[in-house]
Amino acid sequence: MPEFFHRKVERNAIGFVLAIVGVASIGGFVEIAPLFTIHETVEEAPDMRLYTPLELAGRNIYIREGCYACHSQMIRTLRDEVERYGPYSLAVESKYDHPMLWGSKRTGPDLARVGGKYSDVWQVRHLMNPRDVVPQSIMPRYGWLAKNDLRIDDLGEHLAAQRAVGVPYTQAMIDNATQDAYGQASPDSNYASGVSERYGKATNVRAFDGDPSRVTEMDALVAYLQILGHLTDAAYKQPAAQAEAQE
Amino acid sequence: MISRLTLSERQLALGVLLFLGIIGLAMAAAGRNDPLGGQGFIVLLFSVGLAFYVMSGYFAPEPDESRLASYYDDPTKVGIVLAMFWAVIGMAMGVWVAALLAWPELTFVDQAWASFGRLRPVHTSGVIFGFGGNALIATSFHVLQRTSRARLPDQFSPWFVLIGYNLFCIVAASGYLMGITQSKEYAEPEWYADIWLVIVWVVYFLIYLRTLARRKEPHIYVANWYYMAFILVVAVLHIVNNLAVPVSFSHAKSYSLFSGVQDAMTEWWYGHNAVAFFLTSGFLGMMYYYLPKRAGRPIFSYRLSIISFWGITFLYMWAGSHHLHYTALPQWVQTLGMTFSVMLLVPSWASAGNALATLNGAWHKVRDDATLRFMMVAAVFYGLSTFEGSFMAIRPVNSLSHYTDWTIGHVHAGALGWVAMITFGSIYALVPWLWKREAMYSPRLVEVHFWLALAGTIVYVFSMWNSGIIQGLMWRTYNDSGTLAYSFVDSLEAMHPYYIARTFGGLLFLAGAVVGTFNVLKTITLARHESATAAEPDMPAIPATSAVQAGE
Amino acid sequence: MELDKRDVVTGRPTTGHEWNGIEELETPIPRVVFFFLGTAFVFSLICWMLYPTWPLIWTYTKGMLGTDQKQVVAVQVEDAALSRATWTSEIEKKSYAEIEADPALMRSVKETGHTLFGDNCAACHGVNATGGAGFPNLAAKAWLWGDGSPEALEETIRVGINSTNDDTRTSQMLAFGHDGMLPTDQIEAVVAYVRSLSSLEPAGDAKRIEAGKQVFAANCVACHGEDAKGKRDVGAPDLTDANWLYGSDAQSVFTTVYSGRQGHMPNWAARLSPLDIKILTVYVHTLEKKPQ
Ligand code: HEC
Ligand code: HEC
Ligand code: HEC
Ligand code: HEM
Ligand code: HEM
Ligand SMILES: [Ca+2]
Ligand SMILES: [Ca+2]
Ligand SMILES: [Cu+2]
Repeated sequence: MPEFFHRKVERNAIGFVLAIVGVASIGGFVEIAPLFTIHETVEEAPDMRLYTPLELAGRNIYIREGCYACHSQMIRTLRDEVERYGPYSLAVESKYDHPMLWGSKRTGPDLARVGGKYSDVWQVRHLMNPRDVVPQSIMPRYGWLAKNDLRIDDLGEHLAAQRAVGVPYTQAMIDNATQDAYGQASPDSNYASGVSERYGKATNVRAFDGDPSRVTEMDALVAYLQILGHLTDAAYKQPAAQAEAQE
Repeated sequence: MISRLTLSERQLALGVLLFLGIIGLAMAAAGRNDPLGGQGFIVLLFSVGLAFYVMSGYFAPEPDESRLASYYDDPTKVGIVLAMFWAVIGMAMGVWVAALLAWPELTFVDQAWASFGRLRPVHTSGVIFGFGGNALIATSFHVLQRTSRARLPDQFSPWFVLIGYNLFCIVAASGYLMGITQSKEYAEPEWYADIWLVIVWVVYFLIYLRTLARRKEPHIYVANWYYMAFILVVAVLHIVNNLAVPVSFSHAKSYSLFSGVQDAMTEWWYGHNAVAFFLTSGFLGMMYYYLPKRAGRPIFSYRLSIISFWGITFLYMWAGSHHLHYTALPQWVQTLGMTFSVMLLVPSWASAGNALATLNGAWHKVRDDATLRFMMVAAVFYGLSTFEGSFMAIRPVNSLSHYTDWTIGHVHAGALGWVAMITFGSIYALVPWLWKREAMYSPRLVEVHFWLALAGTIVYVFSMWNSGIIQGLMWRTYNDSGTLAYSFVDSLEAMHPYYIARTFGGLLFLAGAVVGTFNVLKTITLARHESATAAEPDMPAIPATSAVQAGE
Repeated sequence: MELDKRDVVTGRPTTGHEWNGIEELETPIPRVVFFFLGTAFVFSLICWMLYPTWPLIWTYTKGMLGTDQKQVVAVQVEDAALSRATWTSEIEKKSYAEIEADPALMRSVKETGHTLFGDNCAACHGVNATGGAGFPNLAAKAWLWGDGSPEALEETIRVGINSTNDDTRTSQMLAFGHDGMLPTDQIEAVVAYVRSLSSLEPAGDAKRIEAGKQVFAANCVACHGEDAKGKRDVGAPDLTDANWLYGSDAQSVFTTVYSGRQGHMPNWAARLSPLDIKILTVYVHTLEKKPQ
């Protein structure tokens, strides 16, 4: 009987097409749609802060150079990962990540909590030539990052596009994006104070690449790396709460 | 080839190329301060170059009506050559990035475009979309016509699909080198390329529908079910996963609509089903035609075909979350992904079994004919990698395999053993049919290719299984004190010998692909030279009612 | 349907259709397919009952086990810490001298320290702790800070050097040239002098070295001491030994004096537990002595 039915379906191209689309749509719908409606999917984190324009530019360089091909940014809920890398990653921590960079391969270590782990100097030297500081490393060199000036004139447009996909950048942030990017990498300039004003006192304002007179791609990437895992403290509170809930 | 197009088709081609050229120019102008400008130039050059080619044949006499009595195979022929071309590029890139992981200082230029992170997607897109995609488009046109006993609806749209698709591939690959990527695995190209692919894909789908509408066979053959599922579902996946807001029309960069956990789920719903409907469904379509054809045997079981087809179409779409086990994705989605992946094994093995059982009564041919042996081994690797996949989808297993080279081993068991082998087998069957020859230029070289491919696959896959499992275990091994026994760098050092072995395996596989390309090109040139003497008509005529000669 | 056609090899009927020579057999679906499908489904059903699985619009089924991966791992980590307590509690209680005298504890320290050091410190100090340009050799026992006692080491590791910790150790080698405190010829002289202290300067330029000695006495002794053996309360290195943080060639030493230096050692209290820091302290303190 089902076979008879099938013989009918396979005689009708349009029917077959509709059947395929129908049958194939169910799984994705059931798995994706509820992620928007079930509230506990993404935890609450009132202290969650946004990427500064410089950090966002750094994130875009991270994407451009394909760092995600070797590095994950997702500590799984497994004992060994928590003990090696720190508290497991929460959904809220990538809430403003368009797109997420969880990664699928760990040729290098996880970077979800690398922010603050090493000094700027180390990060720069490591990116210039990883084998200079870690002789065993197989990571590529990224010397051009220190040479290239960062394009900052269009960062306002970037922030506006981010706002269009749901990141709550304010108009002041968008209007001052270029100045803020400059100020964050030039701590002695007049633009530095605006960065902490708009993005919080804890924001790193430093000459990340060691040269306050230029804003390079290296500045941006290091600024981004140094904020990883520090957008919110939620992950550090979560395990305690979970353990309590269990008792 | 232009001379085989009608005048109005030539005009249409020029019109489309003009339009594309304008788009390219606009991109180059608007994006002059951005990598988008470079992409615009590529589009412009591409369309101008092709326009010159069309012009060169523009005034040739028009073909007469007799063309309608034969199949239209020119796009298939070109598609096969393009597939082989991309195979060599993509696999050479694979060998190169493999070598970089073994010897990172090998980069001859310390420049951005030559670094691992930018070259890796050139490899993945080069082999999956360049090689796999061209092979799928080329064979689907061939299979569609034969199994429908109908000619393609027109001569322009197949070219539009093939050429437009290759433009997409070129824009994608050159974009990665320039640093343009959305970072979404297997969907890396940026918004403008994504939009272009949608247009190409709609035309592709319409070709399918229009040809099926004109078919002379009452029933649609299984191969076409799979090709249709491939076209349709890839369209749905592609559109949803690539939703994004560009920074502006003069920027290549865009920000994806979804973020965080929803983005992760969408990406792997896409990524996993790119495997399912691009790397599996499409190639099953290929297998369902060329394997029985070459073996000269009927399909083992029609009913098995039905349940495996619908099983695959339904179950695969639930399995994507097995890429996100133990992550910040809620656990309920992971349970669904795991259980559906396990159930998925049954229809997967059903189709592998259906293929192998079809060879009953033809095993002596498998022994003697390397072409058929390619297809047989492909079916075996298909079974193997789906078993492995279902196993890796079980949460505790995935806790070990995820993030490690085990995944890479699994990928290449599927990619080399299944995707590449079924394609090579099908191409070796198809080339002599299309170019009207008894056999390939050198059956011996087909044999050589087979052994190179098999050896390469085995070396690659075994070295990655080893390194992956060692890596996974080292990361979670505890010493007697109850603390982690190895640092990350310890595990990195342990990988070195396997990375060398993998490079070597890849080199063997690449050598096979080069041999294959040579053989195909040689067969074509031989056919060219002899066609002057061969008196046969170029295309078999199709009397309205009877089938084309068997063996076609 | 025409069911008259049969396949010669198997004797099975075909479906009666043919596509360009391809036919299909009417083989029934082998039983085992249903068997495996059933088994896989039962497996799935059990998983669905035990674990969180099915989405409802605002929530989802929680499963009979009532567990979630986040709780599971929190408990696992806690249990693991408890089971390690047999020796970690000893570490917490005992003094450094007691720990170092206890071979069983030291075995755990070595094992644990290897990985902790490898994952956190080796990036700068190297897997063997022998350091590298800009990063001190911890196995040389030529300490910048304190007397090399475990207490001093512990403080360095905990608060870092020039770090973001409120109590950080701070140190800075001034930029004598860059900031215009010394003219270039004087810097060259003092460089020659400093290098001569460890016999790196070719003999014969005694005049220059003598001039450098004057410069040193006027500018450097405040930090590096009269004898240039360094001061461990300001993190100023000993300039007479064979250990060089930034290189001993004339160019490197010139750069040090001209542009100044300020090493940065992260603040590990922000990342590692007091227990981990204690283990690392003992680990570093008991490293075998190795030259760079
Ligand atoms: C070919 C693979 C590869 C690529 C591509 C790569 N890395 Fe790495 N990365 C590694 C490996 C291997 C290590 C571990 C050895 C080391 O520290 O160098 C590492 C280590 C690191 C570390 C130190 C992590 C820690 O906790 O010790 C950082 C930070 C880092 N990489 C950042 C980056 C950035 C940023 C990029 C892109 C611009 C990048 N990596 C690209 C392989 C890679
Ligand atoms: C980002 C690089 C970096 C990392 C990672 C790092 N250190 Fe250091 N460490 C330094 C630098 C730089 C100094 C020297 C500071 C100076 O120049 O005064 C130092 C100094 C020290 C000292 C003082 C040496 C002395 O002579 O007094 C100790 C002890 C030490 N580190 C231990 C550790 C341990 C243990 C870890 C891991 C938990 C670690 N370090 C990780 C950079 C690092
Ligand atoms: C304000 C205190 C201070 C003064 C004054 C000072 N130094 Fe230093 N010096 C330091 C510190 C602190 C370091 C270590 C810097 C570091 O670890 O990053 C250092 C490091 C050095 C080094 C590098 C040692 C190595 O191992 O690479 C040399 C050489 C040196 N000083 C020479 C001099 C000379 C010559 C003068 C005078 C012209 C001088 N210093 C004056 C504090 C001082
Ligand atoms: C000559 C043969 C090949 C070699 C040497 C090779 C090598 C590689 C290497 C080195 C990587 C990166 C792995 C990593 O990051 O650790 C890779 C990834 C990949 N390759 Fe290949 N490859 C070959 C052929 C193919 C073919 C034919 C296909 C597909 C049809 C393919 C599909 C992929 C995919 C999908 C990935 C990404 C895997 C992931 O991200 O998990 N490869 N390959
Ligand atoms: C029943 C069928 C299959 C199942 C259940 C399955 C399952 C899996 C699983 C569990 C992973 C690892 C995910 C992770 O831990 O990151 C994976 C990765 C992958 N599989 Fe399969 N697999 C199947 C068949 C195939 C086939 C036939 C191919 C053909 C090439 C293939 C290609 C890939 C690729 C490319 C990846 C890497 C994705 C990435 O991380 O980039 N799979 N698969
Ligand atoms: Ca991947
Ligand atoms: Ca895309
Ligand atoms: Cu998958």
